[in-house]
Amino acid sequence: MTPEGSLLAAEGLRKAYGPTPALDGADFSIHPGEVVAVMGPSGSGKSTLLHCLAGIIRPDSGTVRYGPHTLTDLSDTHRSALRRTDFGFVFQFGQLVPELTCLENVALPLRLNATRRKAAEHRARDWLERLEVDDVAAKRPGEISGGQGQRVAVARALAPQPRVVFADEPTGALDSLNGERVLTLLTDAARDTSAAVVLVTHEARVAAYADREIVVRDGRVKDMAGRI
Amino acid sequence: MSGRTRPRPAAAGGPRAWARDLAMGMRFAAGGGREGWTRTLLTALGVGLGVTLLLAAASLPTLLENRTVRREAVAPAETERPVPPSPRTLVQAPLETAFRSEPVRGQLLRPDGARPPLPPGVTALPGPDQMVLSPALRKLLHSPEGALLRPRLPFKDVGTIGPAGLVGPGDLAYYAGSATLTPENGGHRIRAFGVTRAPEPLDAKLLAVLIVGCVVLLMPVALFIATAVRFGGERRDRRLAALRLIGADARMTRRTAAGEALFGALCGLLVGTVLFLVGRQFADRITFWDIIAFPSDVTPVPWLAALVAAAVPLAAVAVTLLALRRVGIEPLGVVRSGGGRRRRLWWRLPFPAAGIALLLLNGGIEGSRSTAGPFLIGGGAALFLLGVALLLPWAVDATVSRLSGGPVPWQLAVRRLQLSGGTAARAVSGITVAVAGAIALQLLFSAIQSDYLKVTGQDSSRAQLQSTLPSHDIGTIRKTISAFRETEGVRGVIATIEASASRPGPLRKGETFAPSTQVTVGDCATLRELARTGPCKDGDVFVVKDAGGQVEGSYIDETARPGATVDFAFHDGPDGAGKRPRLWTVPRSARTVESRKDPMGQDSFGLFATPGALDPALLEEPMARAMIQLAPGVLDAVEHARNTAAGISPLMSVRALRDTVRDGQYTSVRTGLGVAAGATLALIAASMLVTMVEQLRERRRLLSVLVAFGTRRATLAWSVLWQTAVPVVLGLALALSGGLALGLALLRMAGTAGLDWSVVWPLPAAGAALIAVVTLLSLPPLWRMMRPEGLRTE
Ligand SMILES: Nc1ncnc2c1ncn2[C@@H]1O[C@H](COP(=O)(O)OP(=O)(O)OP(=O)(O)O)[C@@H](O)[C@H]1O
Ligand SMILES: [Mg+2]
Repeated sequence: MTPEGSLLAAEGLRKAYGPTPALDGADFSIHPGEVVAVMGPSGSGKSTLLHCLAGIIRPDSGTVRYGPHTLTDLSDTHRSALRRTDFGFVFQFGQLVPELTCLENVALPLRLNATRRKAAEHRARDWLERLEVDDVAAKRPGEISGGQGQRVAVARALAPQPRVVFADEPTGALDSLNGERVLTLLTDAARDTSAAVVLVTHEARVAAYADREIVVRDGRVKDMAGRI
Repeated sequence: MSGRTRPRPAAAGGPRAWARDLAMGMRFAAGGGREGWTRTLLTALGVGLGVTLLLAAASLPTLLENRTVRREAVAPAETERPVPPSPRTLVQAPLETAFRSEPVRGQLLRPDGARPPLPPGVTALPGPDQMVLSPALRKLLHSPEGALLRPRLPFKDVGTIGPAGLVGPGDLAYYAGSATLTPENGGHRIRAFGVTRAPEPLDAKLLAVLIVGCVVLLMPVALFIATAVRFGGERRDRRLAALRLIGADARMTRRTAAGEALFGALCGLLVGTVLFLVGRQFADRITFWDIIAFPSDVTPVPWLAALVAAAVPLAAVAVTLLALRRVGIEPLGVVRSGGGRRRRLWWRLPFPAAGIALLLLNGGIEGSRSTAGPFLIGGGAALFLLGVALLLPWAVDATVSRLSGGPVPWQLAVRRLQLSGGTAARAVSGITVAVAGAIALQLLFSAIQSDYLKVTGQDSSRAQLQSTLPSHDIGTIRKTISAFRETEGVRGVIATIEASASRPGPLRKGETFAPSTQVTVGDCATLRELARTGPCKDGDVFVVKDAGGQVEGSYIDETARPGATVDFAFHDGPDGAGKRPRLWTVPRSARTVESRKDPMGQDSFGLFATPGALDPALLEEPMARAMIQLAPGVLDAVEHARNTAAGISPLMSVRALRDTVRDGQYTSVRTGLGVAAGATLALIAASMLVTMVEQLRERRRLLSVLVAFGTRRATLAWSVLWQTAVPVVLGLALALSGGLALGLALLRMAGTAGLDWSVVWPLPAAGAALIAVVTLLSLPPLWRMMRPEGLRTE
């Protein structure tokens, strides 16, 4: 399950909250520039898998390798640094800092990486343009629509040019039209920067955007189909 | 939400609509699931804490009143004329002593007959050499340190004094029985116990201090309650948006929100009452500023309790409605008008201005004696402090809107303050008002304190204790003096034996009695403390003139003359004429010197003689005084000296010399305010902590997202710190200027000028320290909330 040349690979991940396991020996791998859709019923462990892969939580057992690093062995500080520099995130909702403007929100991860304010905001503006939401740059998240918000979130995830983007149901709160648009923008932009995308979703049509689909069931990963 | 089919008229705002919406809100609060309950619980706890404090404050008058009543009830009744003995009388003498700094109150009792009066709390008089005592005194006597006190109470423990006979549970009191006490040997015959003294009207300045103190201490409590009813407000607003979606109008949602707050406040009242009732059971175990109270004394004044019960729910509703003024609850979400609408200064300024005006209008502080006076002072101070609390959100707004740039933590903090400065201001408004009030109060206190300090004239560096010997028997006097000299920790005893001497022989023309003067016998060391003797050896005699020149010298000159003969016998009484004179001749070698103030601050003059020159046995009815000098560093030397005194006579008291004494009223006002300040400060700290954690809790998800991003914990911690620091700095600056303004207005009223900066600075510093501690305490919850679990919530 861990083919040569993979960027991020996980083996035998187990994670339990209390008696019931959320992950029960899950394996996963992704290549640079690849878009993998993670599907599965609610409560099957998709988010938990994503959090383990991104080093947000530590699995009870199993390993996650990212390039030369073994994520599961790194300290929290190291993992945080990796998340800052190499990973990007899009969540379902509520991820924009409400008191910052959209522009500042997009610039935030850059600034956390010690980019100067002017430069960060300049780059943030480019990304907002690219995701077709530069008109809301000066607005606060409370003043924009859900679809615009998700696009800003995508811009924020991509702005630091991460190697992997983790998206957990990024379109879950959007209507299908908006949802598809956001997904198109996300996957296109990721391919342009050759970032890998781990895309957790319920939507069946999402297959159209992914290179590969996997299904999580009862904490285990089943490969659905080969590459397109 | 309406069950009706027809749409409600838009202007439905009658009492029925109110009742319905409030009730609906209360139902929401009661049945809002886990989230709703958490919120209600937090509010109830917050309000409950405030209510507990308010009820405690409302109990203070009862507490003080009951203590005074009982203190008066145990004092022996005062009579104009001596009471003749009867079966219903007893002879009483005070047995006063102290243990370390605690006074021990005792009375020696001997019944004249079968039905003597009983002191309160005592069911039967103790027999000779028996005693009944207070539980606290019994505990002390049985403790190891009590060994120092036991020799003074050589009586058999035969019973306990009930609460009716004690001022408080910590009272050290006892009654001992005697078989020999008579009015002739130091007793006092009484028919009953209990005196009623007309209550001393409280001094005008102290009354003003007290009123301002109450306002200062209760304002933060009120602010805290107002904050507590808004706990979890953001979540509630989102819930209310859902209500709007299904057809509630803006006013309905507001009233529903008020209903929720009302429920929380009512729960808070309940919690507060329970906390208060439980807490007061421990009143007799907690010493607060020397006061331990009986639980039954901690009973709120009924009308004050009723006021609390009415004001808290009303305030909850009013605060919620006011708070929601700035929040638009739209069907699709909550719109905070924070960004658009600026906070205005024009309606805030009149509050402090009106407060100051009221204070200055009131005229001099003497005005506080009039009926309206206390209300004017209290109202003025309250208005002013309320104004300070109102100015704070404006000041925060006005300042942060000018800030920008900076590193990420600063940017996050500033932006957050720009969007919701009100929340941040609310968190520090309690401390702002408390510090402002405390500054004003301290200024007033320090300006008037010299008025309440009396210089006694005693000099505690020359001698530390004094005692008057209750015996005229020269043998006993000598024994007592040497007993003191041999007591552990006593360095020296300034002991004098005093009597009077008169000119012998018949009265001269125009005289109604023979000129007389005082005779003092003491060793050279003693006489040196009383007069500028110069060289002195045993056998010397001095004629001492009053250095102050206040006492007319002629009497001294007529009797105390070198070479003159004096008579120590009294000839004034009915049998005086036939008495044998006790003649003595002042040696011609006697030197004339000037008097000197003794350690008690008194001047003595007349004839001073050393024992080698005049045998004190020659004196008639000599009196002895002893001023005792203690060796520095000997632990409990005072207690040893008191034991020595008690060993000679239980009626002999030993008192400490004090250079100054504070006015009693001043001391009790200061004590009361100190107690309350401690409680308020604890409440402020608790409230800040809860508010901070609550604010963090509302942002749990966002914190988790930022952590997922790889944001450093330090970055988030700094942003929280900045977010606190900016309002705190503004708050303290406001407190400093507001406190000074209020303080100066009060000083003007008190007619005292002079600003003592040294009492001002510690207060903002203390406020800042308190905030630092609270902020540090809020970091662990912040750490805990920066975990990925937060990604799942909502
Ligand atoms: N922090 C947690 N505490 C307790 N249980 C958890 C926690 N996180 C996940 N779980 C449990 O682990 C299991 C998997 O959860 P997870 O969130 O990974 O599912 P999911 O596939 O993402 O579901 P959904 O599609 O609904 O988002 C569920 O049973 C969930 O209840
Ligand atoms: Mg999920």
